Amino acid sequence: MEAISLSKHEHKPLQINPIKLSQPMGAALAYMGINNCLPLMHGSQGCASYTKVFYTRHFNEPIAMYNTSVSDITAVLDGGDYSILMAIENITKKNPTLKPELIGLCSTGLTETKGDDIRSMAKDVELPYCYVHTPDYEGGLESGWALTAKALIEQHTKETQKINANKVLILPHVSMQPIEVEKIKEFVSSFGCEVLALPDLSTSLDGYLSQGQGKLGTGAITIEDIADLASSGSVISIGTSMKIAAEALLQKNEQIKHLHFDHLMGLEQNDNFVSFLMELRHIDPNPSIRRWRGRLQDAMLDTHFLIGSNRYMVMGEPDMCVGITELLQSAGGRVEVVISTVYSPVLESLKVENKFVGDLEDAQKYFNDVDLVISNFHAERMLYSSEKECALVLRGFPNYEELGNALKNDQLYEGSTYFLFEVANKLREMQHHL
Amino acid sequence: MVNRAKIKELLNESACSHSKNKEKGQGCDKVKPGLAAGGCAFDGAQISLFPYADAVHLVHGPQTCLGASWETRETLSSYSGRNHTAMGFTTGITMNDVIFGGDKRLEESLDYIVKHYTPEAIFVYSTCVTAMVGDDIDMTTSLASKKHNIPIIPVHAPGFAGGKNLGSRLAGEAVLEHLIGTKEPEYTTPYDINLIGDYNVTGDMWQYMPVFEEIGIRVLSSLSGDGRVSRIRTAHRAKLNVIVCAKSLITLCRKMKEQYDVPWVSVSFYGKRDTSNAIMTIVEALGDPKLIAKAKEVLSRQEKMLEEKLQPYKKLFAGKKAVVNTGGNKAWSIASSLQDLGIEVVATSIRKSTADDIEKAKEYLGESGILMKTPASEQAKIIDETKADILLAGGRSLYTAIKKKISFIDVNQEKKVSYGGYEGLLNLAQDLKDAFDNPVFKNVSKPAPWEVA
Repeated sequence: MEAISLSKHEHKPLQINPIKLSQPMGAALAYMGINNCLPLMHGSQGCASYTKVFYTRHFNEPIAMYNTSVSDITAVLDGGDYSILMAIENITKKNPTLKPELIGLCSTGLTETKGDDIRSMAKDVELPYCYVHTPDYEGGLESGWALTAKALIEQHTKETQKINANKVLILPHVSMQPIEVEKIKEFVSSFGCEVLALPDLSTSLDGYLSQGQGKLGTGAITIEDIADLASSGSVISIGTSMKIAAEALLQKNEQIKHLHFDHLMGLEQNDNFVSFLMELRHIDPNPSIRRWRGRLQDAMLDTHFLIGSNRYMVMGEPDMCVGITELLQSAGGRVEVVISTVYSPVLESLKVENKFVGDLEDAQKYFNDVDLVISNFHAERMLYSSEKECALVLRGFPNYEELGNALKNDQLYEGSTYFLFEVANKLREMQHHL
Repeated sequence: MVNRAKIKELLNESACSHSKNKEKGQGCDKVKPGLAAGGCAFDGAQISLFPYADAVHLVHGPQTCLGASWETRETLSSYSGRNHTAMGFTTGITMNDVIFGGDKRLEESLDYIVKHYTPEAIFVYSTCVTAMVGDDIDMTTSLASKKHNIPIIPVHAPGFAGGKNLGSRLAGEAVLEHLIGTKEPEYTTPYDINLIGDYNVTGDMWQYMPVFEEIGIRVLSSLSGDGRVSRIRTAHRAKLNVIVCAKSLITLCRKMKEQYDVPWVSVSFYGKRDTSNAIMTIVEALGDPKLIAKAKEVLSRQEKMLEEKLQPYKKLFAGKKAVVNTGGNKAWSIASSLQDLGIEVVATSIRKSTADDIEKAKEYLGESGILMKTPASEQAKIIDETKADILLAGGRSLYTAIKKKISFIDVNQEKKVSYGGYEGLLNLAQDLKDAFDNPVFKNVSKPAPWEVA
């Protein structure tokens, strides 16, 4: 079998059983993490409908999603202003009780190809308006999410010279589930910080029974919060994709301290994270954090026999792959293959022999070389129909089969602990089958 | 190429009740920006053809089109070869293809597929971007078809052409133009039919196929549940087209009548009455008195068997009332199934229904039945007034049921079992019983300690 190398260029003309997801889908999810945002996809109706069904099935929640329904006629005659303005008018007219505080627009392959001017629209939209260029023939889910965070800062954060030293902004990458954002916020605020996340899904799509949901984004950050972000003392980007958003914020106030973590999984990264927070606030972590660090140490020792004697394949968005790979490696796991949805420079640093951008057809060739696969749910059917018995842990988008996806936590000392146990138990289960 | 004249013709289908009573130029499927809720034309085309398991379905477009849609539908297949319906193929075009055209990539992809997967046929779906930049999909597929000596069928239903319904019609056009009539069946019988518009979701078709077999009705080909490309090519030799719950493929049936003189009937297999009616409609259209007699005998036996199995459920359901809030033909087909189980349907939604669907809903619900035009705002009040026991609706309505402390079934979620045919009615009965028995709706609706006065 010829090895595939890590490259920005594809190694074959098509994708078979793809794991790659599109930029506008990442953008739409980001907008759902803004309070009272109306996520509006500028494309044909299918782009939004697929996205809506996709997230509805992953989160088991009603999804707020609108579209400009570009038709064959508007595709040719309209520069974008008609469909976008008409869409906003029609939506608000039809739902008079709807009070959006932000129109979150993302473009699609169709409207980028025809070259719509989505920027100049701002002056004609009566509500606060944010636009982001997200053609689905470039980038992927992760970049769509990150570009949206960047656009929100660039277009809505006011420049300032003031600094609130205690205020911390977290920029989580797209693969973090709502509970993970919430846990990180709680962790930071336990050091006495005022904390915000952008985007913030912790109160959106987090599996919370409430009335009248699903019409607008219900994220925990408001448009006023976003306007005021440049007074943050620190900005912490989690995931390489989010660096661009942090850099955009520094443009608004260069005194802001920027700290970057590739991920928050495993002992080392979290120790660095805690050191930073201790330094920032000159206080020690609370007893619970200390306790969880000890539990993670213990979990690493308890699981290292199983984890260290098995081989892994990790598939998904780059930032997620890096976190999972390094956590497994920290307990001795031999990660043989990493298959990423798109190219990202962070993959270059991974100490893994086979790492490349690919699909599940590529993955299939390696099933015989590994004992456990970490992937989205598309791997399930293929693994079950293959002869090789492989354990499977489902992570990343989409997971149509399992319930409670929004509440799976793999971050910090606590989440890392649970993750290691889950992997070890799956391996143990599989060994019983053999 | 996308053909505007064809789209116009399809949108003004004379046999469809969407367009029948409308002014000129106001046919089916005109979307207003911001208000389109359902899928696009590509979505409809893909749904209509994807169940052909012996063909590879290649989506020529950027990432959203297939990336978000593959492996989402439980369209079961009995195909013994590699089942391509559970797989996803896309050219996943990049910026380079948008600038220089994607024909080269498409050609290489087709070569790759033929070499590694040897399918019976390949469907190539154009999408918004590849239609917009003007890839010559007709030429590329036609050359590749000659080179590899298998049917390679271009399906021109880019998303911006319209909604799902139109896409389904365009898929029908592609099948009619490229497949139907290109092969002769090994043999024919006087009782050969084509099933049009049943996609065998969760095995719906398999609920009624055994009854067909017992009566002697033979399914020559299907568009496209549990379908094979090799069989749809012979569809022109069928004696009858049977449209199952699908208005979108009426155009195909009308054209097959014109070109091949195959008549069509439209039926539904939801519930006992509709299943029996459907089968009688089919045998009467085939017109053989012996077949009709045989059907009557089989149906009476099947109905009796079903009735016996339903008795315990009917006892449990006596006096129960239901409110149905779902779209299109489900507005009446689910209502009809519920009535077959002895449940009174007090209201149903007609928000997304055609004139035909509304007529049918009226017929099933009778004088006192409420037809809801804006169910989201009406249903809570109706539940109070009618003292309904259960709400069958989409996920958005769950909170209404919780608040009203009544049972709930999500009818829009991808279901795991079939509700079609006689056996499917038993599945529905069991799901209803489980919903009525389940205390969860009462339990979660308890007030929080801090809400108690």
